[in-house]
Amino acid sequence: MTTAVIAAEQLTKWYGPRLAVDQVSLAVGPGEIMGLLGPNGSGKTTILRILAGYLRPSAGTACIAGLDVVDDSLAARRRVGYVPEDAPLYGGMGVREFLLFMGRLKGLAAGALTATVSAAVHRLGLEHVHGIQIAKLSRGYRQRVAIAQALLGDPALLILDEPTNGLDPRQIIEMRELIRSLGGERTILVTSHILGEIERVADRVAILLDGRLLGVHALRGSSGGQRLRLHVRGHEEGVRACLARVPGVTAIDVERASAMPLATYVVDAEQPVAEALAAALIASGFGLLAMEPAPVDLESLFLRLTGDREEAAR
Amino acid sequence: MRNFLTLLVKEEKAVFSSPIAYAIVAVYLLLMGFTFTLMLFLNRTAELVRIFFQAAVLLLLIVPVVTMRLLAEERRSGTLELLLTSPVREIEIVLAKFVASLTLVLLMLVLTASDAIVLGIYADPDWGPIYSGFLGLLLLAAALAAIGLLVSGLTSNQIVAAVVAMGVGILLWMIDSIGYLLPDPFDTIVTSLSLVAHFTPFATGALFLSDLGFFLTVVLACLLLTVRTLARR
Repeated sequence: MTTAVIAAEQLTKWYGPRLAVDQVSLAVGPGEIMGLLGPNGSGKTTILRILAGYLRPSAGTACIAGLDVVDDSLAARRRVGYVPEDAPLYGGMGVREFLLFMGRLKGLAAGALTATVSAAVHRLGLEHVHGIQIAKLSRGYRQRVAIAQALLGDPALLILDEPTNGLDPRQIIEMRELIRSLGGERTILVTSHILGEIERVADRVAILLDGRLLGVHALRGSSGGQRLRLHVRGHEEGVRACLARVPGVTAIDVERASAMPLATYVVDAEQPVAEALAAALIASGFGLLAMEPAPVDLESLFLRLTGDREEAAR
Repeated sequence: MRNFLTLLVKEEKAVFSSPIAYAIVAVYLLLMGFTFTLMLFLNRTAELVRIFFQAAVLLLLIVPVVTMRLLAEERRSGTLELLLTSPVREIEIVLAKFVASLTLVLLMLVLTASDAIVLGIYADPDWGPIYSGFLGLLLLAAALAAIGLLVSGLTSNQIVAAVVAMGVGILLWMIDSIGYLLPDPFDTIVTSLSLVAHFTPFATGALFLSDLGFFLTVVLACLLLTVRTLARR
């Protein structure tokens, strides 16, 4: 069994009388990009800070690659690369000087330090600015320097707090591409209060509101699952039963039904099922008119989940 | 140890790349040189007792300015979050900052030693009180630096850190005065907290372990409280 890189159980954080994070449980596997989505003040940054070892949870536990963030704090911090919101850096230092400093703090051996820093400089496209004082860099470059320091020491988990904040449109696109390219090699936890940002970079999304986790949803099939949209001719009950019999199918929603025996179904599955679905429908005599990948409509999902909660609160 | 040295180098660079450090050293040396010349030609005695007391009063004002940015600036700029999420112990951060701030004060004291050298060349001073006086100044500076570091760890505003640390230092310097108004045993307690009461024996050449213990206790207590301040988050 693969160990989860992030395993948080009933994580709770009080700031004085204010409850910032309320019993959040979360598991993120190796190589996954998990997005934390929620409005400002929903507890995203607090969760990141607990996982990064900056804050202690008031209750609950959190482990990074099996290491408790409180009991094995130093060892856990060695496995985390953290980029706080607004990428705070030492403005008086040069880019390379700063990366060497952070590399030493992360315990890189003297022999490997220069090579590791050079690799990070190359990976983040900082060759042209590595001798420049950080205070003189643009916001986009500062963000890259912050990510470069987070990658030093090859951490299992990269935590990015609002990485596209304050960037111009071109820098936002570059940052998205960078995050996607870093996924797969390592687990990434990224926050944003902008739906589109999470939708574009994350494999799964955890939606937070008022410190509570409302749900975790797959956005793309990178974790082995699949979400498909099918246009099928046939009676709804029969089609549903036929689809449900296919191994791996976890949920079937009817997106658009009409008076005619023709409807659109959205099928969630925990493994690739496209061929099996097509075969099952045709074998049962239903007309399969079209089948396509169905990305999650994050906006509707967010509104539905936050709306449900407000409804429940009333 | 490696982390401590890495942090110390960074802190030393920060201290000595700041114009504040050079302004402080220059003003300190100017005032000390002025007083030394005046004392030498007016009193014509080969001793530095008055110089030590003037240096002590200047340290009450200068050390908080040296320590004000140590943690307050890190907190304001957000780099404290970067440091505390690195695999570094709080004690290493605190010690590196403390030693770095003390280095600047040590440099000032070493430069003040030129006064003693002048006395040694042109007269035959009693060296005992001179050595103990410098030791007293170093201990006083260490205590003030530890207090300043603790206050700097409690705020993100450098000016607030400097003003509060200065206030605490000056209050502890003269707190024995209020002892005359208090009944026993409060007068003894208050007097035993006084910086001037523990510094005077050093400046006059009388060494007591209790005075040494007082300064070391203040340093250790403030450093431990600073570590607790960073750890409590």
